[in-house]
Amino acid sequence: MDIFANLAHGFAVALSPINLLMCLIGALVGTLVGVLPGIGTIATVAMLLPITFGLPPVGALIMLAGIYYGAQYGGSTTSILVNIPGEATSVVTAIDGHQMAKQGRAGPALAIAAIGSFFAGCVATVLIAILGAPLTKLALAFGPAEYFSLMVLGLIFAVVLAKGSVLKAIAMIVFGLLLSMVGSDIETGASRMAFNIPELADGLGFATVAMGVFGFAEIIRNLDHGAEMNRDLVQQKITGLMPTRKDLADSTPPILRGTVLGSILGILPGGGAVIASFAAYTLEKKLARNPSRFGRGAIEGVAGPESANNAAAQTSFIPLLTLGIPPNAVMALMVGAMTIHGIVPGPQVMQKQPDLVWGMIASMWIGNLMLIIINLPLVGIWVRLLRVPYRLMFPSIVIFCAIGIYSVNNAPVDVILAGVFGLVGYWLIKHDFEPAPLLLGMVLGPLMEENLRRALLISRGDWSVFLTRPLSAVLLAIAASLLVLTVLPVLRAKRDEVFTESEN
Amino acid sequence: MADTMGHSATATRNTRLALGFCLLAIAPQIFELIWSIGTIFGWGIGRGPAAVVTSHAAALLAGAPSAIFGSFGGGAKKASSEVLLALIYSYPLFVVAILTLFMTIRSAQDYVGGVVLMAVALFALWAGSDLQGMRGFSFGAGTAPRMFGGLLVALSAGIALTGLLTDGPAMAHYSWRGPLFVMAAILFFALAIRPLGLVVTAFASFMIAATGSHETRWLEAAIVGACLTLGCAILFPYVLGLPMPMFPRFLIQ
Repeated sequence: MDIFANLAHGFAVALSPINLLMCLIGALVGTLVGVLPGIGTIATVAMLLPITFGLPPVGALIMLAGIYYGAQYGGSTTSILVNIPGEATSVVTAIDGHQMAKQGRAGPALAIAAIGSFFAGCVATVLIAILGAPLTKLALAFGPAEYFSLMVLGLIFAVVLAKGSVLKAIAMIVFGLLLSMVGSDIETGASRMAFNIPELADGLGFATVAMGVFGFAEIIRNLDHGAEMNRDLVQQKITGLMPTRKDLADSTPPILRGTVLGSILGILPGGGAVIASFAAYTLEKKLARNPSRFGRGAIEGVAGPESANNAAAQTSFIPLLTLGIPPNAVMALMVGAMTIHGIVPGPQVMQKQPDLVWGMIASMWIGNLMLIIINLPLVGIWVRLLRVPYRLMFPSIVIFCAIGIYSVNNAPVDVILAGVFGLVGYWLIKHDFEPAPLLLGMVLGPLMEENLRRALLISRGDWSVFLTRPLSAVLLAIAASLLVLTVLPVLRAKRDEVFTESEN
Repeated sequence: MADTMGHSATATRNTRLALGFCLLAIAPQIFELIWSIGTIFGWGIGRGPAAVVTSHAAALLAGAPSAIFGSFGGGAKKASSEVLLALIYSYPLFVVAILTLFMTIRSAQDYVGGVVLMAVALFALWAGSDLQGMRGFSFGAGTAPRMFGGLLVALSAGIALTGLLTDGPAMAHYSWRGPLFVMAAILFFALAIRPLGLVVTAFASFMIAATGSHETRWLEAAIVGACLTLGCAILFPYVLGLPMPMFPRFLIQ
């Protein structure tokens, strides 16, 4: 079997002592930095990127993958404990996880998150090994038109699964697309919407916008409520760090469902992990016998999304390795890291550098295993973080975020921009706009524009190319039907509301 | 009685909203004016405040109207950036502000959200107006920004319309203390990290941010801030190897 030979080769690469050490260091450092409140996955990976520069490519990527998982786990830890999701994927975890922490069940919440992530990681690793090669062949059939349609589909998925108004979610995506166009034009090099500010010539960084819209905005919003919501938390006694048998039994089905859902959604470009965690949460809530428990500390609300986002995070390597599309901001950073090491992600990587690809896939599994070994004993320590009152926590978070952003490019302007986006994020929250689709639009914007331009150039300006090429037409049809399916119930509900009003 | 009172209340709020939108309509001009004040003291480059005021006033009051009516005659002359700003950004928002006076707003949250987002989109359209458009069937640098800008204008108009047609929440309450001090801390950090170094900056920013909550205890905050600064000073430059100045520049030299 080809796949197993490949996997075995990968494990041989990943299990070499040096690479094992890289993986361990990556996972450990990723967790430690990711756990700092306000510094989410994106910032952690961006901050730690420089330490991998001096390593050989395989070791560097293995370490980066370790940092990524570590950061992701560290990120869910902070969102459970202090309700500050460092990035979009842990927003959902924070909803029920933080409630569990308030009830003194932070330990089980963290442990279930780790166990769910590990299980999902195992499944996803196998999936990547199986699907990687066939998808590479499919990738060759993908022209610019198909890429564009695929990204439209990914964005529509984000709209469908976002909560709240469809119109607002789409508007947020377009806003994100517009923001992604600030900076130099890819083809002509013209400076766009940069107002002659040299720091804007390179465009707005994902990490900067993400940190502003999620990090700073969240802090400001929490200050609105005052610290009363955090005060009751400190007095709570923390009981039992390990999940009980009932917890495990309750969370097994959500973990399984989350894994399946996450693996499928992760393959789609468009912030797979974000969509997956939202989708898993919605699914669990719909399937639950008593949906009102959700938002009040239901363990299913932690288990499902956490396994889904980990599965998706891992399967989102598939589009990166096969199509060369970074499906989310972290993957975009990975592309940057690969380019620095002289590797161009895309269909040819699998054939040209099997050591790298399979070594990295194998190291993902090892990284996940290491994470669970590192983290289960540490749960007790993380839980102590809860005892720090918010009035001391939030200035620390501000400082960590500021240092984090500054260190990405050593640019003070980035810090100011993140502050401005913090205000923008605060405004968005106040007007019930969701920031997650905005970030997705920003991540996919440059690629969408490039492929749109290329597709139209090849077709000599004929827009029908998106419908005449079969693959592209199918993708767009799926996107359209998804959108219609989402809008229809909303319209009907509106009409019902109107009717009930007129009856009164 | 209650009905009239309710009605007059919405009327005053609409006037305030309309005034707010008018202010939003000339926000970029005001921003440039504030920015230009710095040139008096020799900071930065650009025009002085007097030049900014006259050019924008001329564009708003004379240039843009004549561009609208004059385009039928001989529209060969290229409009200046101020006139374009007035035409693309300010005028549509003035129109929205005037329309606001005559509307019953059923969900202020959606209506204001939509209008402000529209302002952002219009501003982006203006910012991209100097870029080249389509060249034959190939995209210019400005095509995609214009496309998505136009789309965002349409979508935000839709959101504003939702605010008029369906009931929804009113404006949320904004507080000023948290945002103000957190922003001040961020701004201070950005401006001070290069000249003053990590140690001074981190501690000072910590204290500024701590002012944002009304239940800060000063002694406690100072102690925690000092510990945090020490931790950061060890963690970031040494453990993670990030290049960062540690102490104020004038102390080292």
